[in-house]
Amino acid sequence: MLNSIKPKGRVVFAYLFIPLGIYLFSVFVPLVTAAFYSLFYWKSGPAKTFIGFDNYVSLIKDSVFWLAFRHNIYLVVLCIFGQIGLAFIIVLLINSKLTKLKGLHRTFGFFPSTISAVYIGLIWTMVFDQRRGIINWVISKVQDIPTRELPVWLNDSKLVMTIVAIPLIWQFIGYYMVIILSAIASVDKEIFEVSEIDGASAFQRAIYIVLPLIKNTLIVCVTLCIAGNMKVFDHIFTMTYGGPGYDSIVMALYGYRTSFDNGDMGYGCAISIGIFVTSLAVIGLTNVLANWLSRDKGVA
Amino acid sequence: MKKRIVGLLMVVTMTVLLFGGCGNNTTTPSGNDTAATATSAPAATEATATPAATEATATPATDTAEAVTLDMMHFSTSEESQGNGGSDGFRTVIAEWQAANPNVTLNQNVLANDEYKTQIATLAGANELPDVFLLQGMNTKSWSSQGLILDMTQIIADSPYASLYNDALFYPFTADGKIYGLPALTGGTCTAVVYDSAAWADAGYDTFPETWEEVFAASDYFAGLGMDTIAFGNGGQWQANSCFLSTLGDRFTGADWTKSIIEGTGAKFTDPEFVAALQATQDIFLSGIFNADYNTVTNETAREYYIDGSAAAFIGGNWDVSYIQASLAGTDLYNTTKFAVLPQPEGATASYNTQNIGLGYAVAINAEVANDPAKLAAAIDLAYTVTGTDFAEYVASNYALGGLTTVANVDLSGFDQWTQDFYNWSYVDTTACEIYDSYVDGSVWGTLNVDLQTMMNGDMTPEDVAQATQDSYEAYLAQ
Repeated sequence: MLNSIKPKGRVVFAYLFIPLGIYLFSVFVPLVTAAFYSLFYWKSGPAKTFIGFDNYVSLIKDSVFWLAFRHNIYLVVLCIFGQIGLAFIIVLLINSKLTKLKGLHRTFGFFPSTISAVYIGLIWTMVFDQRRGIINWVISKVQDIPTRELPVWLNDSKLVMTIVAIPLIWQFIGYYMVIILSAIASVDKEIFEVSEIDGASAFQRAIYIVLPLIKNTLIVCVTLCIAGNMKVFDHIFTMTYGGPGYDSIVMALYGYRTSFDNGDMGYGCAISIGIFVTSLAVIGLTNVLANWLSRDKGVA
Repeated sequence: MKKRIVGLLMVVTMTVLLFGGCGNNTTTPSGNDTAATATSAPAATEATATPAATEATATPATDTAEAVTLDMMHFSTSEESQGNGGSDGFRTVIAEWQAANPNVTLNQNVLANDEYKTQIATLAGANELPDVFLLQGMNTKSWSSQGLILDMTQIIADSPYASLYNDALFYPFTADGKIYGLPALTGGTCTAVVYDSAAWADAGYDTFPETWEEVFAASDYFAGLGMDTIAFGNGGQWQANSCFLSTLGDRFTGADWTKSIIEGTGAKFTDPEFVAALQATQDIFLSGIFNADYNTVTNETAREYYIDGSAAAFIGGNWDVSYIQASLAGTDLYNTTKFAVLPQPEGATASYNTQNIGLGYAVAINAEVANDPAKLAAAIDLAYTVTGTDFAEYVASNYALGGLTTVANVDLSGFDQWTQDFYNWSYVDTTACEIYDSYVDGSVWGTLNVDLQTMMNGDMTPEDVAQATQDSYEAYLAQ
């Protein structure tokens, strides 16, 4: 009976080929073509001139690209603490016995990550708006400052990267919250009960019990967080377009602007490959670091 | 067996759907009318130039009944055509042409201006330009040198409206002595000062100040009222270039310098005149006369500051003026709104009373269309029509606007004071200068625009901005 409904090997293979085909077509093919076209001078038209690795030589010397890279790294650091750190704390609060309506908290916590990044960008642009934004409204109520003299948050060259990180953090807390919640749910509850009987405080339980037990999940979260923030685009595109000047430029936005505003497709492709390589390097380094930190602890 | 066939069909269908999306198929019947971002084509020079000839009558070139399919891309969306004369006229004339040419299937792909610019550049990169499209001046040189666009010099000379064309408008679409497009839409300024004459009269100025020093002096008065003196939006980074520097620079450099930059004959962005223009720009923006958020809001937001009365003036393009006009209709501010050129900066002696105006886009034809005579005839006829007398008369009589083809004796008496004033200001009372980004190359303006924004925050010197722009310009010239 079982054998009669069990699909044949090639049928399984055919079905599995569909997602593989989509993956190859949407990820692998663009990557290979971008790598190919990055070897050409290709600007404002179909004419392409093979120039070898000249675009990469320019990329290595391009101060704007490395500025964008530093901005991405800054976002990664902020978001690891902001997204995963806050998500971890919120999960502990939700799991607390004192918390009521846990399902509601989970749903509302996850809700922002279902909204399009462009809407998030627009919403937070309004929040930070100099005249009509809620932040400046509160400031104007607390201190008697005329509207004209209120801070222009998105024009502050020193603060702007931190400001654009806030919507990113806000949006993805819920996403990591769900992952961490499921990781904690899979831990045997007896461990918590025993530690509670032994007199461990909530803080001690979080640091010495929960954290080591979900370490592998957290490493996955950090990897996802890095990957997400190395290619961040939409929020910043909507909020500042990389401005003022290049003060909030990130790699993906720089690649977009080079390709479409300046019409420099060849160099834009080189930037894409640059994003790919630097992201891989950062993720690789993080994994090495994570493995090194968890060595000899029996939980790696 | 039956299940197998169904399964196989589903796999085939999915594959076709998956890969079908990648084809080069532009058959969007009524176009992709996405939300318009009120950025219409900048503008025309002196449309009141004397009409040299009597009105020519159009002779359709496509009398044959041969079925032709023509793909066209433009950015006159239905949303943008509400209140924007050029877009309305363009859409109207296309619809009339379609009705008169039933043998031609016209597939229009209509995008908002920002998306249009991105998509047409991408299509050019893939050598997949539509048959007929709107060419931006700054792409003329590189696209013509790569053989993407049809040389229309002879076609323009043969046009039934040739004697009515304002020849100066072809300049942005000319490369190596050949013309590659028929300038389209309507002429309108990129830099107009829109001001509330009543508020300025209260401040002690009968008309808008002619010098920046007077504007600075007035700013204390407006600040006392809790108002900004002038509203401006440079959030998109292009506005400070197109709607400010392009005109202010002309006051310092004069037209010859600009022409030399366009043609690559020796002028530099590091020339002292241009650096002085940058310095003046920085001084003006750091003086506090503008809304504090000028570098984060776009022109769309800044013009609202004028409309809601929180700014006494606004600087923007003709597209902003038409929006403000529609928004203010029926209010007191509508009746007191007047227009002025940018005040003269101290030390600027190269030109006076100028504003940058021209037609920023032209109807161009894909070079490959020449291989199909019937299609070429239809494309040429369409290009003649949308830039010819039908269009010019429609926009003149409905909006008091001018285009490529001049219209004799525009009757302004039927229009209200606003429209008459703006017509005279645009075409009669002021002197035209060039719109920088109708020429040269996007990479040069990309560099300038980014650094200009930093400079306007006081974080970069005019000399450094000039040097970075010059470096980018030299890289462009070296190509």
